Amino acid sequence: MSTEVSRRKFLQGSIALSVIGGMASTNLFSNEEKKGKIKTTTKTNTTQARTVSTLCEMCVNKCALIARVENNIITKLDPNPLFPKSRNMLCARGNAGIQALYDPDRLKYPMIRVGEKGEGKFKRVSWDEAFEYIKEKTVKILDEEQDNRSSFMFCAGEGMAEHTFKTFYDGFGSSNWLNHSSICLQTVASAYGVTLGTYPQADLENAQYIIMAGANRAEAFVTPDTMDFVKKVKAKKNSAKLICVDPRFTNTAAKSDKWLAIKPGTDLAFVLALTYVTLTEELYNKTYVAENFNGFEEYSAMILKENYTPEWAEKITGIKAKEIYEIAREFMANAPKAIYYPGRRSTFSKNDFQLRRAMAIFQALGGGIDCKGGLVFGKQFKLKDHEEIIPMYDNAKARAVVMNNQHIGYDSCAIVSGGGSWISWRNNFLEETQPYKVRGMFCYKHNPMMNMPNTAKTAQMLKKMELVVCIDTMPSDTVMYADVVLPECTYLERTDPVKTFGGVEPAIAQRNKVIDPMYESKPVIEIMRALTNKISKPLFEITKKYDEEVQSEIASSSEKEVYEEFDLTKPFMFSQEQINEYTVSDYPDAAEKLKTQGVYYPKMDEYFKQLSENEFEYYPEAAKSYSVNGGKPVTPSKKVECNIESFTKKGIDSMPMWRDEYMYSIPKNQFRLMTGRHAQYTQTSTANNAMLKDLMYQNYLWINKHVAAEKNIAFGDIIEVSSKIGKTSLRAYPTEKIAPDNLFFIHGFGQESSELNWAYKNGGNDNAIIEDFMEPVYGAAAMHETNVEIRKV
Amino acid sequence: MARYGMALDYKNCINCKACETACKEENGVLLGADNHRIWVGMKEIEGEYPNLSIASNTFYPSQCQHCDEAPCQEVCPTNATYYDKDGQVRIDADKCILCSYCINACPYDARYVDDRTNTVDKCTFCTDTRLARGETTTACQNTCPTKVRIFGDLDDPNSEISQVLQNREHFTLKSNLGTKPKLFYLI
Repeated sequence: MSTEVSRRKFLQGSIALSVIGGMASTNLFSNEEKKGKIKTTTKTNTTQARTVSTLCEMCVNKCALIARVENNIITKLDPNPLFPKSRNMLCARGNAGIQALYDPDRLKYPMIRVGEKGEGKFKRVSWDEAFEYIKEKTVKILDEEQDNRSSFMFCAGEGMAEHTFKTFYDGFGSSNWLNHSSICLQTVASAYGVTLGTYPQADLENAQYIIMAGANRAEAFVTPDTMDFVKKVKAKKNSAKLICVDPRFTNTAAKSDKWLAIKPGTDLAFVLALTYVTLTEELYNKTYVAENFNGFEEYSAMILKENYTPEWAEKITGIKAKEIYEIAREFMANAPKAIYYPGRRSTFSKNDFQLRRAMAIFQALGGGIDCKGGLVFGKQFKLKDHEEIIPMYDNAKARAVVMNNQHIGYDSCAIVSGGGSWISWRNNFLEETQPYKVRGMFCYKHNPMMNMPNTAKTAQMLKKMELVVCIDTMPSDTVMYADVVLPECTYLERTDPVKTFGGVEPAIAQRNKVIDPMYESKPVIEIMRALTNKISKPLFEITKKYDEEVQSEIASSSEKEVYEEFDLTKPFMFSQEQINEYTVSDYPDAAEKLKTQGVYYPKMDEYFKQLSENEFEYYPEAAKSYSVNGGKPVTPSKKVECNIESFTKKGIDSMPMWRDEYMYSIPKNQFRLMTGRHAQYTQTSTANNAMLKDLMYQNYLWINKHVAAEKNIAFGDIIEVSSKIGKTSLRAYPTEKIAPDNLFFIHGFGQESSELNWAYKNGGNDNAIIEDFMEPVYGAAAMHETNVEIRKV
Repeated sequence: MARYGMALDYKNCINCKACETACKEENGVLLGADNHRIWVGMKEIEGEYPNLSIASNTFYPSQCQHCDEAPCQEVCPTNATYYDKDGQVRIDADKCILCSYCINACPYDARYVDDRTNTVDKCTFCTDTRLARGETTTACQNTCPTKVRIFGDLDDPNSEISQVLQNREHFTLKSNLGTKPKLFYLI
């Protein structure tokens, strides 16, 4: 090990070769002229500093952190050890949060579009001018649509203040809500939901055997899972065995005891074969199954009848039958302290919903439900709801989804969930098959241009929309298509709605404002307060004009009284700090603790202990919530649902089954494209972060070394990757870690917004080439179904 | 006087680079892929897909080893490189003439040139930031998600690092050179 630890040698072999090049300083949005050159890092000082306990927002995990502030500049973000979810860690992205705050490309002022949509030409306006513009357009559209509130669509990305924006949506009265779920964890959350009653957490800390399939916790961070699995797997004593199943050799595979290179999209066959072995060899927990299963007989009979043997699965998955026998036996021998890890961003293939159902049932066969070392439901502290208004608008139409007369269910998917199906919605909008016209949209902290397959179609949708209002911190690709841009401040400049975090060690945590918002940016709650002040009355006038219910109510009572129910300003009357205080007021000292420490749970003062510089104890063993429901599922029947007959009416298999169309095959000279997450980038939101760019400048195309050699492709060569719908280019990284007929690159690069100095046209954009395939149950984007071709440029 | 060292439970490392970013933000390290104080070494995996050697993929976090017998200190003509009171190998930027002898002498390749000051820089165990403020951790140690790093006083028999080194097998890099590094890799 003498060579690989050398810094120079490491650099030569590293994919982080490139150094940040010179930047153009012509950016309209940039403050460089005023403020001088970007200072990318700040050394902390020994002089007096102020510290603020808050929560991270560089990804979805919400780790607790302590911000160090010197002369009103944030100089360092450190982990806050008090939070059981993040366990005194802050990852690379969390540390780089300072760069998101001081990114010179940040949105600074409200703006109104002056050029063509997508062109990125805006004029700076005052907040009032921006709201006036929104008011006029909204009033016009709602008047023409006769107060059909659903003629506006609302969409948001994941985050703590998403709730604030959703409060606005509820008051506005539209039924068109789209969020990240259908391009994220919809299928896994729902499949576990219908099978076990909830999307559970995994007690990796106590598991003895872990199968992690299609999940990459060493790179796609989830707290505390990432920390727990590594420590558990590599522990000196009482360690767990980790089986990593992934078509690609990831950093998670590097930590595993066994890595199985499965063919993409065939995990369902693998799980069905594990189930077959478990049933035929009677390895399952008979008592647990007898007491807690619905439809076990039918499921068992089906598995045996279909003959899902390991030998059958070997041909489909590429995993040796011998391995499948061994894993089923080992898993069940360790059960209930054995975990088939549920995963997250998981809609890889069209069979994903059934795959997750099969995984949940296989897990339950070992009895590892709601128990130590298995899948756990955890406890959660209840918070009080604050005031919201949800007025009844008589003319608001139901969600704009296409009903199909041929069979029961919607046009493109069987079930439309709360977050909707983004792809299906967009495509229906473009095809004009929606039941009424949707003409405007409000988009909060969301980047559909970059995050949804088939970018060209998303651009068309945004061009066609008559009013696009974007609230964001950065000039993203989507912001380029906005008519009005409202600059939100970053997470370090605002207090967000307090949040309760359930689990084995539950806690409540709060994001506290560290410094005042820079430029003219505002927290979304203040944006909503000012916007609703501007539009609430004018919109009520429209309702009065068209809503007969409202008219007759006014006739029988008074306008003032009726308006009370429609007063959009109401939920935003109080400050976020006041709302938070009320929300946690059931816990005597919580509000104060959350302000000063960022984290609260009852008895924290008594329970929390520092064991060493590295280790902390949050709850004593006896107070941990390993089991909250006596080991029973939390479905309405309190049983594991193997066979859900009502599904057949919607055209969904009532039990997880293999179908021929799930078979993996690739035409000659083509590759199956896979995308994924990364420990240093969060999808599209961190692509412009100077610190993170310094770690890996751009994304790279993983291509099998031998294939690359045949095609004369060397490291760093630019490769054009094309599919039926588009093409993108990026640099090659020939490696043994990927199959000859697969390609991989991480998601979030290749942005087209020229206002993102570092991210602009940097690397490849996966969604420019991923086709809009949907899994049929929830209409979730099936991200790993696209075949591509390559060409050396 | 302490004698600071670091033990690395390197098998827990997942190469997430939290340590590298924490170091840069704490110590104001200039951005640029060549300019960094700490890093994680790795090499391309052995074997052919899908028969890859999992063991060959280990990640090695590394940085200045703060050697007790530091070759960089021996070759420095201006005494810019020196041992401070707590045993850390430090650089006095005012004395550094950028002759680069130390960069060549360091067997661990731990030094680089800071383009702003045109002097040599490297890991300082956060001496003039965190330790100077009376904190007891380095930025990299504190932030690590999988808690690879144990930092502390090697002369204090009750310190966590002393305890760990007493109870667990470990090795140092290039020990044959006699540099006596204070970075210990736990087996």
